[in-house]
Amino acid sequence: MNLYKRMVLIRVLEEELQKLCDIGEGADLHFSRGQEAIAVGVCAALRSTDYIVGHHRTIAHAVAKGVPLGPLVAEVLGKPNGVNGGKGGEMHINYPPARFMFSFQLVGTCVPVAAGLAWAVKIYKESDDIVVVFHGDAATANGQWHEGLNIAAVQGLPVLLICENNQLAGNVRPEHYLPPTPNHRIDERARSYGIGASRTDGNRVNNVMDVASITVDRVRTTGRPYLLECMTTRLGKHKQGQGDIRSKEELAELSKRDPLLQEEQRLRISPEVKEQLYIEAREEVRKALEFAVEGEV
Amino acid sequence: MSGLLTPGRTRDPFYRNHLLRDAIGRAIYEAMQRDPSIYLFGEGAEIKQHYDAPQIEKEFPHRVITLPISEDGNLNFAVGASLLGVKTVVDVITADFLYRCMDSICNTAAKLNFVAAEGQPPKTIVIRGEFLIGGPTTGQRPEALFAHIPGLNVVLPSTPKDAYGLMWTALRTPGVTLFFEDRMIRDVQTKVDDLSYHGVQVPVHFGYAGICTYPKRKWLTVVTYGLMRQVVETVLEKNRIEAVVLLDLRTLYPLDLGSILDSLKITKKLLIVEPDIQFGGIGAEIAAQVAEAQPGVKIRRLGGPREVIPASREGQARMLPSEAQILEEIRELI
Repeated sequence: MNLYKRMVLIRVLEEELQKLCDIGEGADLHFSRGQEAIAVGVCAALRSTDYIVGHHRTIAHAVAKGVPLGPLVAEVLGKPNGVNGGKGGEMHINYPPARFMFSFQLVGTCVPVAAGLAWAVKIYKESDDIVVVFHGDAATANGQWHEGLNIAAVQGLPVLLICENNQLAGNVRPEHYLPPTPNHRIDERARSYGIGASRTDGNRVNNVMDVASITVDRVRTTGRPYLLECMTTRLGKHKQGQGDIRSKEELAELSKRDPLLQEEQRLRISPEVKEQLYIEAREEVRKALEFAVEGEV
Repeated sequence: MSGLLTPGRTRDPFYRNHLLRDAIGRAIYEAMQRDPSIYLFGEGAEIKQHYDAPQIEKEFPHRVITLPISEDGNLNFAVGASLLGVKTVVDVITADFLYRCMDSICNTAAKLNFVAAEGQPPKTIVIRGEFLIGGPTTGQRPEALFAHIPGLNVVLPSTPKDAYGLMWTALRTPGVTLFFEDRMIRDVQTKVDDLSYHGVQVPVHFGYAGICTYPKRKWLTVVTYGLMRQVVETVLEKNRIEAVVLLDLRTLYPLDLGSILDSLKITKKLLIVEPDIQFGGIGAEIAAQVAEAQPGVKIRRLGGPREVIPASREGQARMLPSEAQILEEIRELI
């Protein structure tokens, strides 16, 4: 139920932010609608001292890792009371107190940065914490993904790569960025670096947490990298202010796999309970937005 | 002794200024002794320390980390390590390779401290690159490009003493520093092999140009940096030219415009000699700022042509201002 609540919070927060974008208050924000289960499930499998590194779609990961909501929203909206003083914006969120160490706009950069962080955790801090780095399937077409994975494999670093495979690179389909291997399997690419890798359903949050727990343990005990490919669906646009390459029919088909919907069915959450949870989440988001707006004064 | 102008002809192509190299090595070694968070990263880092700084190899073998030939990935790797407070010295070996990691330097590292969360201590990264000479992609001088990027310090010492003092500062200054080592500077002409001033080693702070001459009569200010300092000094000595205030920038960013303007108040004439392509270079920036701040100053620039460096040694000689050109300009201005 906690996982579901967290996903609802992310969903509601992004919906509220989207309203702000629509009236020109927010920038071209990147939302994770439909992909929430990965951030929430993986972070639930981590210790609070484990580190995460994100990509440009940061809001879900930040909420999942426990970045305080008010300063987070303020940062997303570029306010001076944001977690990064309003200087980084939504794509450069980092908040070391919650061990959300880094996120970056440019695709692929997060992987070598996470490798370096994992090196510092293992060699410099001599700790058994691990580093989780989130990236998309499209990042595997970028040299930085390969360079980072290669260094992590060579050095033997405790980094868990979570590939959020939504079969999209912005608004581009995989035939333009992945070679024509069966099913565009990212885990196979990772295995060629001599590391462990597997694929799982990224839209069932309990499944993500269970599988992530096993892989997190594996990374922690072996001290070696591992890639977990989570198949998911992005139900929103690449970013606000942009069209979507997909048809309404396709999106309707994809939304049958909506992680929130699947979790509601699994937990048999009644409409009344669901309504109550959404009201609570909206209240929390309202407070965060108020905090953010106060930053302007 | 016109070796500097025709480097390949009179010099071993693998020439190395050992004093400069040793001064940098010593500054890093001493800093490593005091600060356990300093680590050296780079392609062939261990083997490089073996040859260049055996003391570091001997005493801190576990703080020298050999990384693959992934310049861009290595710099991002260093950024990741710095997130936990590791001070990294990343060696890309040849300055030309810096083009390989423009993204990780200019996009990632340069923004690192800017986007940091409130209350986080600023991170320190020192990036080293050497200038060689040899061909289209060996011997390029990208320092002016980096001076353009906010978030980066650009350091280019011309003497061992400055190299020591500037590396001292780089390792203690939060932020990202590009530290260039010019292998073409000749040992014989770096007059000072003692790194101390009156027996005391002092750091050289960023943003302070070195004043190389103290003439009684001041008729002309010559601003230069890196390799060209020696060449200008040679010209002045050979031709017994006094009355020239010679300034060595030492750091291209922060730029010490104050010292230049102070000197120009007396001399009113400025010659900028760059060991780099003149077009869009640091000399253009200095000239523009001087023209804005002190209208009426006579300004001339000398630099390399905006051409690809050829592999032929005769061709390479044209890529930097020659002693004859410098002499002619100085005579004309004085």
